[in-house]
Amino acid sequence: MLTVTDLHAGYGKVEVLKGISFSVPKGQLVTLIGSNGAGKTTTMRAISGIVKPTGGRIELAGENIAGIDCHHIARRGIAHSPEGRRVFASLSVTDNLRLGAFPRLTGHRAKGDVSADMERVFEMFPRLRERAFQYAGTLSGGEQQMLAMGRALMLEPEVLLLDEPSMGLAPRLVAEVFATIGNLKAASITMLLVEQFAAAALEVADYAYVMENGSIRHEGPAQQLKNNAAVRAAYLGGGH
Amino acid sequence: MEIFLQLVVSGVALGMIYATIAFGYQLTFATSRTLNFGQGEALMLGAMVGLTLVLMGVPYLLMIPFVLLFGLAQGLVVERLAVRPAMRIKSEFGWIMATIALGIIFRNMAENIWGRDDLKFPSPVSEVPLQFGAVRVLPMEIFVVIGALAMMAAVEFFNRKSIYGKAVIATSNDRDAAGLMGINTNLMISLSYAMSSMTAAFAGILVAPVTLTGATMGSVLALKAFAVAIIGGLDSALGAIVGGLLLGVIETLTGFYIATGYKDVPGLVLLLIVLALKPAGLFGKTAIKKV
Amino acid sequence: MRNAIGAIVVLAALAAFPLVIKNPYYLHLLIVIGIYAIVLLGLDIVVGYVGEVSLGHAALFGIGCYTAGVMIFQFGDAAPWIKSWGFFLLVPMAIAVTALFGLLLALPALQVTGPYLAMVTLAFGTIVQILINEMDFLTNGPLGIALRKPDFLAMFGAKGLVDATRDVQFYYVVLICAALSVLVINRIVRSHFGRAFEALRDSPIASDCMAVNVYRYKVYAVVVSAALAGLAGALYTYSEQYISPNTYSFELTILFLLGVILGGRKSRLGPIVGAAIIVYLPNLLSDIFLFRVLTAFIAALAIVIVASAFIRNAPDKYNRLIPGALCVAFFPFAMTLESVTDYRLTIFGLMILFVVYYLPDGIIGYLTKTFAALRPKREAADTGEVVVDASTVWKPREFEAPDGVLLNVKGILMQFGGLKALNNVDILVKRATVHGLIGPNGSGKSTMMNVLSGVYQPTAGSVQLLGEEIAGRTPSAIASLGIARTFQNVQLFGEMTALENVLVGLHHTYETSMAGVMLNTAASRHEEQEARKRALSILDFVGLAKVADEQARNLAYGQQRLLEIARALALDPVLLLLDEPAAGLTAPDIKELMRIIERIRSEGITLILIEHHMDVVMKICDTVTVLDFGQKIAEDVPSRVQSDPRVIEAYLGAPADAAA
Repeated sequence: MLTVTDLHAGYGKVEVLKGISFSVPKGQLVTLIGSNGAGKTTTMRAISGIVKPTGGRIELAGENIAGIDCHHIARRGIAHSPEGRRVFASLSVTDNLRLGAFPRLTGHRAKGDVSADMERVFEMFPRLRERAFQYAGTLSGGEQQMLAMGRALMLEPEVLLLDEPSMGLAPRLVAEVFATIGNLKAASITMLLVEQFAAAALEVADYAYVMENGSIRHEGPAQQLKNNAAVRAAYLGGGH
Repeated sequence: MEIFLQLVVSGVALGMIYATIAFGYQLTFATSRTLNFGQGEALMLGAMVGLTLVLMGVPYLLMIPFVLLFGLAQGLVVERLAVRPAMRIKSEFGWIMATIALGIIFRNMAENIWGRDDLKFPSPVSEVPLQFGAVRVLPMEIFVVIGALAMMAAVEFFNRKSIYGKAVIATSNDRDAAGLMGINTNLMISLSYAMSSMTAAFAGILVAPVTLTGATMGSVLALKAFAVAIIGGLDSALGAIVGGLLLGVIETLTGFYIATGYKDVPGLVLLLIVLALKPAGLFGKTAIKKV
Repeated sequence: MRNAIGAIVVLAALAAFPLVIKNPYYLHLLIVIGIYAIVLLGLDIVVGYVGEVSLGHAALFGIGCYTAGVMIFQFGDAAPWIKSWGFFLLVPMAIAVTALFGLLLALPALQVTGPYLAMVTLAFGTIVQILINEMDFLTNGPLGIALRKPDFLAMFGAKGLVDATRDVQFYYVVLICAALSVLVINRIVRSHFGRAFEALRDSPIASDCMAVNVYRYKVYAVVVSAALAGLAGALYTYSEQYISPNTYSFELTILFLLGVILGGRKSRLGPIVGAAIIVYLPNLLSDIFLFRVLTAFIAALAIVIVASAFIRNAPDKYNRLIPGALCVAFFPFAMTLESVTDYRLTIFGLMILFVVYYLPDGIIGYLTKTFAALRPKREAADTGEVVVDASTVWKPREFEAPDGVLLNVKGILMQFGGLKALNNVDILVKRATVHGLIGPNGSGKSTMMNVLSGVYQPTAGSVQLLGEEIAGRTPSAIASLGIARTFQNVQLFGEMTALENVLVGLHHTYETSMAGVMLNTAASRHEEQEARKRALSILDFVGLAKVADEQARNLAYGQQRLLEIARALALDPVLLLLDEPAAGLTAPDIKELMRIIERIRSEGITLILIEHHMDVVMKICDTVTVLDFGQKIAEDVPSRVQSDPRVIEAYLGAPADAAA
């Protein structure tokens, strides 16, 4: 579904991604793991067009989308739940969700049944229903994460990018978030997950890539990487 | 006491004009952190176009939609010519200078088209004051207050209810995240400029019948409205109204008790004081600086 | 040297001008150009060096004018000497009064920046114009004030010896004042004051952390700028012999700004060229024929420039297409105009737009960029050849550290709204150690850096440096006490050279006052010489001596990171905070970085290091503190931290089998 080939990207003079390649097959959950500063988030931002790639190809269903504007990429069906959640603080929960469906509501994408989808999101995250008319800025961290994921789902995406969904959450909530990711996988939604918590990510994913310093160091089926010493070394050093 | 009350009432209408212009500043600031330094010229052009239409025989109420459309278009021009290129090269200096430059171009054009003398804008309503106890109120003043409130309410309604309005708010909350929703954030910034100039143009046809209409009518009004936007905070419509009323009243009082020539001074001094003591405005939230 | 010769030739030519050309019109034109040049030179300090927009300079200029004017108007009849010898009193007085008003404006206005500052200065300008108009008991209101130029020759009893009209005499006075202004500004901008001005524009936060108090230096800049506007104002009063309130309008302010940006910022020649253009422009615009000839000339020039770019196949040839087309299109527009005077403001506006987008460096900037021969020689030549002297790199501060404790952080709480970014964190840092600070994203490491350097004020808790409480102090105060830092996202002074960046770090070693700088005293020159020597030696220590004269923004990323360290070392720190120094570096660069850190520690400087490259942390840190969710979860020697199950869980997530 999503194929990235020799992707380069960075900020100003700094090249963060030094030519990475990977692919996300349809209906699968692929995870990118690695320590802080490895380039995981930059990869996500390059795919969704917030950062303009300086080289390489990003193909969505065979079409190169590298370098086109962020909003066009979203309209083609890549939903990105960003690092740090980034919900619209001064809009209500419902409005946040409706904006997730913006391309559908404005004729840039097949409309489908927006209110039914919103209902589905509320079923998935009952806590959001309770807070439907509250400002998103007043939600707790965990609720904001749910909102960010729900908002991304409202696009009816071809590919869902989840960037650090567990960041800054208490362990109980982390478990809850990963349970949700498991549900989405069961619904065969194509997902690319960036996680710092490698253990949990490898638990749910089908396939994993380990990033270090802007390059991919290891890859393999998630189950195989689970007990790999190299993964631990990528985080805490000393494995060489 | 009666005189005092009379002055307060007169100040209210003026204050609502300031509030409307300040509201326009807030719209563009929210989406793009930029301001149109030629906001006064947007107001003046609105008044001038309105006057031209009225003199051509178009009734005042029928003229309003044309002026609003003109304001929308003028805002788009400002955004396209002065703001977008500067934002592309990330130059704050750029958009400040460019909106100033466009402002003086518009003013100069107006001088060449409509002349340098102030003109009289015929009042759309009766010019006989209404008597409320000891206080006399001009019907136009009531019209100004209602019109200004209606304009602000309409824009707020659009922002709160339509999906495009929500997209504008989303853009002002978090531009990158708005882009991820498939929102064309550049378009939203254009839209905010269009709406901002539209409110200014509308303020122009509201204020024109109670003052004189001329190419230079906008500049001082816009500057004082900026004071109001600062006093009220750049993120609060209610703040703009409170700040506007405050300034309007202080100004009429100064004009009466000190001297008419000094009436512009308190607003500007207030601006200096508020910025010195509380830069985010009396109603604004302070921002956390991030390294 | 070459610059000095050029300046002398120009001065000589200007001095000879009245002897050759007797036409009073041109003489007056030159006088006004000289006066405007003084204003623009001052405005350039604010716009070019400090990087802020001032819309209040017409008002400051007006205050200068009216200080002289009002004195003559009020006291000239009672005390006739004011009309003659008074010149020598009134000019300094105008400078002082205007500088004072500049201070009054700067103190509140500089709390804000950018568009806010622009609006505030505009408000100030409007108030001043209103007051001049309304306070007729003082200023004679709209009627204005008339006076005469003093006859200096008569005053000095030299009437018979030399023969010159008052105009010619005054011409020389203005020439001297303008030349002095250039000299003084040259000295200021090349001193530590000038570097402070430039530094705070490029990165206010880094300036503060280099013990350069941003607010204070901005105030200095505005006051100097105002003083020059005051000088120009007083001269203008004498030159025009009549002043009235409506001169000091918004239009004049815009004209000043246009002059600075059109001429070229951050140069002496730029404002002078700008002044010549803005003074001559209105005259030009009143002559439709001349105007059309000039637009035809500009159109032709644009065609030549664009065509040559295409012939040479210049890489930016397409960028020149639009401005070129605009220049050409302006010609037919000029032909349709009947009277240009009416469109004066439109033309100003168009010129501003054109300059802002297509000529951002101004005429002088464009010329020096395009023709390398015009580029001024680097300043190293002015102070003699600087040599590296490794013995000058380190100047350790003397201090006592009881029990070897350098920094004691106790119970720090940093709350943003409901979020506790740091929650009750204690850290004890021993003298001359490398103390690592690690943790997952968002665990509060950078927040801790910002608390320690004073960028954030902690909600609660205490930070003691050698027993002295520093929590709640300003970044520049903390920097003065000896805490230096680098930044996660490099915060160099991009338009300054590597050497100048380090010189900003050495700001604390300067003692010369502004007056000393203006007079270029021997002490001031010596101080500068010493600082340059040290700066180059520090650059040499991090291996950057060979790029000392490169602009920081042109350095490679790894070099930029090292330059930040060099700049921080210049502060003679007792504690150096490094925020992800290895981020974005290549493997050999990282090795070099580790060597440098080891060396810094061996000089007795303590380091706190935030780093994601665990290999670096494990190899060079003596102690490591691990943060998670704003709380300290471990603190120990690296090897034990590395195998601490809580740390592994914080990094890798819950299940223990991942650590097997």
